[in-house]
Amino acid sequence: MNNLINFKIDGISVEAKKGETILTVARRHDIYIPTMCYISKTTPCASCRMCVVEAKGVEGFVLSCNTPPTQGIEITTNTAELEKERTNIMKLYDVNHPLECGVCDKSGECDLQNKTLEFGVSSQNFTARDQSRKIEDWGLISYDPSLCILCEKCVHVCNEVIGDDAIDVKFGGYSSTIIPKNADTLDCTFCGECIAVCPVGALISSDFKYSANAWELTSIPATCAHCSAGCPLEYETKYSGIDNGSESIFRVKNNFEFTSLCGAGRFGFDFDNHAPKSENAFTNAVTAVKGAKAIRFSSMITNEEAHTLELLKEKLGIKLFNEDARKFQDFMNSYSSISGKKHHSGSLDAIKQADAVIVIGSRISTDNPGVRYAITTARKHNGAKIVYAHPIEDTLLKNTATQFLKYEVGTEEGVLALIADAILKEADLSDRERAFFNDLDLGYLAAESNIGDEEIALMMKSFARAKNKVLVVGNDLMAHERSRNIAKLSAMIEKYSPFSLVVIPSEVNTLGVSLINSLDVDEEMADNVVGYNEKGNFVISSLEFANLSIPSLNQQEGTFVSIDNRVLPTNVALSFDGYTLNDIALACGVKTKNTVEYTKMLSSASGFKNREFDSLENFLSPYGDDNRGYLLDEVTCAMNGELEEIGDLPEFNGTVIYHSNPVLQFNAYTNKTKQLEKDNTLKGSAQFAAAARISDGDKIEISFGSRVIQREFKLDNSLKGTVALNPTFDNRVDASRYRFEKSKIVRVIHE
Amino acid sequence: MKNEQFNNRDVSDSYFLVDIPDYPTDGWGKFTRVVKRTFRGELFVGLWVVLREMIKFDIHTVQYPLEKMPIGPRYRAVHEMKRLWESGTERCIGCGLCEKICISNCIQMDTKIDENSRKEVSEYSINLGRCIFCGYCAEVCPELAITHGGRYENGSEQREHFVMYEDMLTPIDALKAGKQLEFEGFGAITPHEDERVKKTPLSY
Repeated sequence: MNNLINFKIDGISVEAKKGETILTVARRHDIYIPTMCYISKTTPCASCRMCVVEAKGVEGFVLSCNTPPTQGIEITTNTAELEKERTNIMKLYDVNHPLECGVCDKSGECDLQNKTLEFGVSSQNFTARDQSRKIEDWGLISYDPSLCILCEKCVHVCNEVIGDDAIDVKFGGYSSTIIPKNADTLDCTFCGECIAVCPVGALISSDFKYSANAWELTSIPATCAHCSAGCPLEYETKYSGIDNGSESIFRVKNNFEFTSLCGAGRFGFDFDNHAPKSENAFTNAVTAVKGAKAIRFSSMITNEEAHTLELLKEKLGIKLFNEDARKFQDFMNSYSSISGKKHHSGSLDAIKQADAVIVIGSRISTDNPGVRYAITTARKHNGAKIVYAHPIEDTLLKNTATQFLKYEVGTEEGVLALIADAILKEADLSDRERAFFNDLDLGYLAAESNIGDEEIALMMKSFARAKNKVLVVGNDLMAHERSRNIAKLSAMIEKYSPFSLVVIPSEVNTLGVSLINSLDVDEEMADNVVGYNEKGNFVISSLEFANLSIPSLNQQEGTFVSIDNRVLPTNVALSFDGYTLNDIALACGVKTKNTVEYTKMLSSASGFKNREFDSLENFLSPYGDDNRGYLLDEVTCAMNGELEEIGDLPEFNGTVIYHSNPVLQFNAYTNKTKQLEKDNTLKGSAQFAAAARISDGDKIEISFGSRVIQREFKLDNSLKGTVALNPTFDNRVDASRYRFEKSKIVRVIHE
Repeated sequence: MKNEQFNNRDVSDSYFLVDIPDYPTDGWGKFTRVVKRTFRGELFVGLWVVLREMIKFDIHTVQYPLEKMPIGPRYRAVHEMKRLWESGTERCIGCGLCEKICISNCIQMDTKIDENSRKEVSEYSINLGRCIFCGYCAEVCPELAITHGGRYENGSEQREHFVMYEDMLTPIDALKAGKQLEFEGFGAITPHEDERVKKTPLSY
């Protein structure tokens, strides 16, 4: 049967798929219908009524944004009456709207300004007693109610895409405003999506406010360099000031119509490096690299830099250390040995379209907000069932997750075995594989992991009618000592069930590095280790205290590989006067002119397409198609893996620390930025405080094995249980280890 | 967004040489140049004009700099920044239109939010060394804040003297004495402007 609905818009025959509205079909066919409140990524707000159209045989006007077409209907988008209706709406929008376009930050890119000019509203015909409305300061975001047109885009985005559900409309006719939901001031994750979608200057970044005009800024398309979601963004630069001719980034914008950005991407843009150029340091760096036994590097680098490091390894015969990427590589290799594929099958889009999602092994709302937003979208738009499996409950997911599977720390392998067993009950497994599941001691696994039969049964029941299912696995599984078997279990689920798999790379380019570099186990050598954005005897870094300074990721061009297996280009937002890795490589005899010449040399055995950097696009089409970079080719691998018996599930007792960053912090780069909050306290529940015999505000000393760090303890009432959260963004602990750790906590007594 | 602008990685300075014939290097060349310059006779043309006027004793020139010619109110010389008549505050609201329209890129401004949550112009500069006095800034200014004035003498020992905002701003005592002159050139309000203003209806 044909599922398409045939109808006509302005005499043009068009087809609509099920679920499409008149407006989406019209937009797809480039037929213009003006809107003020419509935003593609949410359900229609239907507050502006600008999108009215006429339908033949239907009396009155029809809202095209939320009306699906019926077979054979004839739609007219432009008649004199419609024009009059829309002009009247614009006249109403303009009633008492402050005539401060001259100073308003939105001037030049304001929807209200554009539409007012479009409909030729040049005078005010209606009257209303103006009200005294105070500008609200909500931290990173400020709100000017007198500019607000109550389109409700912000409310919809906050609720349906981000999942914070932090703002609401206070209805009251002409005195309606946007207010923080159930709170005096805005208490949210400060993603700033509301700023991005605001069509007028009502919601504005407090830091950017009045610092530059839209038309003075140069837009540089780039890819966010904070986590592996690889969100598209545009850095907007201008000269820093009259006394300072050098450029700086003033703000970050994104294509809010189709994509989202978390607060780290939006507000954490000033991580550029400004260390002075030093020829001496460069000579020392070349000597250090030539004499090095190993280079230790972080995954906060581009594919091209990773390739350069690989060439250096070949040329100089040194070792490459990157524990984070090595563990990821290890995990993916084990995965490939079962699935026969190099790359995981899922993507953020797959999550957005899913109606059943399992997230395991990641505190997702802080580890990778991109995944969180995709899950929220799935929950709100498809009514997806979201199962969040983790030892610590997350209040940020309270509106999103439908079931919380709380398992004991360290039992990830057992939990995944239980889940796999339930999912693969009916699957067509080979005899050996079936035997593996038959041999599972479910009672032991359930008892040790503290996941009951009824919880698994409930999960399976809620998934019964789901068609698009996704399993999302996080860093806790990769850093786990049984990660290989966990990877194989994940691969089994992906292979024999409708679930697609998303493996979350922990850093920006962990995935890219794992595909490009051959990595060695970090031996923690005492000397002759060069650190590249990492610790070492000689440090080449874009962070503080470097022996040689190199450009940060917003001062470099190159590519990343994102969680979607997409190779994403990023461009130079700010210039850097100094040396790069390529200069060192040149001095060591690896010949190439520009770093980006390596883009086309990236290994096709890993799925790279041998495309020139300059041929990579970085934009989304007006219809929302992702034209950024390219997707990695699928690579088939040998299926020679065997599931191993589940090991003994470890026990973590006493005061356990979970290395997990607060919202908007990821790494040393986000720590460098001016606007993002840098809360590096240890956060724990009252129960944890009692167990560790500490109280709110105490200075404490945490020791894991031989390592000791000092922190302040902060009681967090949203947390439960005996696991406390220890941030890693200030680089005091290595983030690539298994993130749960037994610890000893001592209170530091002040004199 | 297209990326072509990022594909040019040539960061070397884009200076080029002007086509001027080389100076003579050999002795004969230098000698002929000196002879040509010496006996060209152009010098005497000018000298004769001066001599002729001097012996006529019929002088029409103005005794500049003691005496100056009056100039028209629409003359476009060095900019002036105006103040509001009533309050004396600066008219400039920092909209940035002059910065945008300036075709020789000589206007720059820094703005910020002030303690009253209003936009404040913290720095404003016009590089008069670059300015071509086209008058676009005065024309585009919505507040009649930046205008042209009559001060056409631009001699100075230092380039920095060309960009003093304070020099352009009407002194407060001049304003109080009613000596601030409105500019009548492009961008100024036209006669009968008051009659064309539509008022916001206030019949609630």
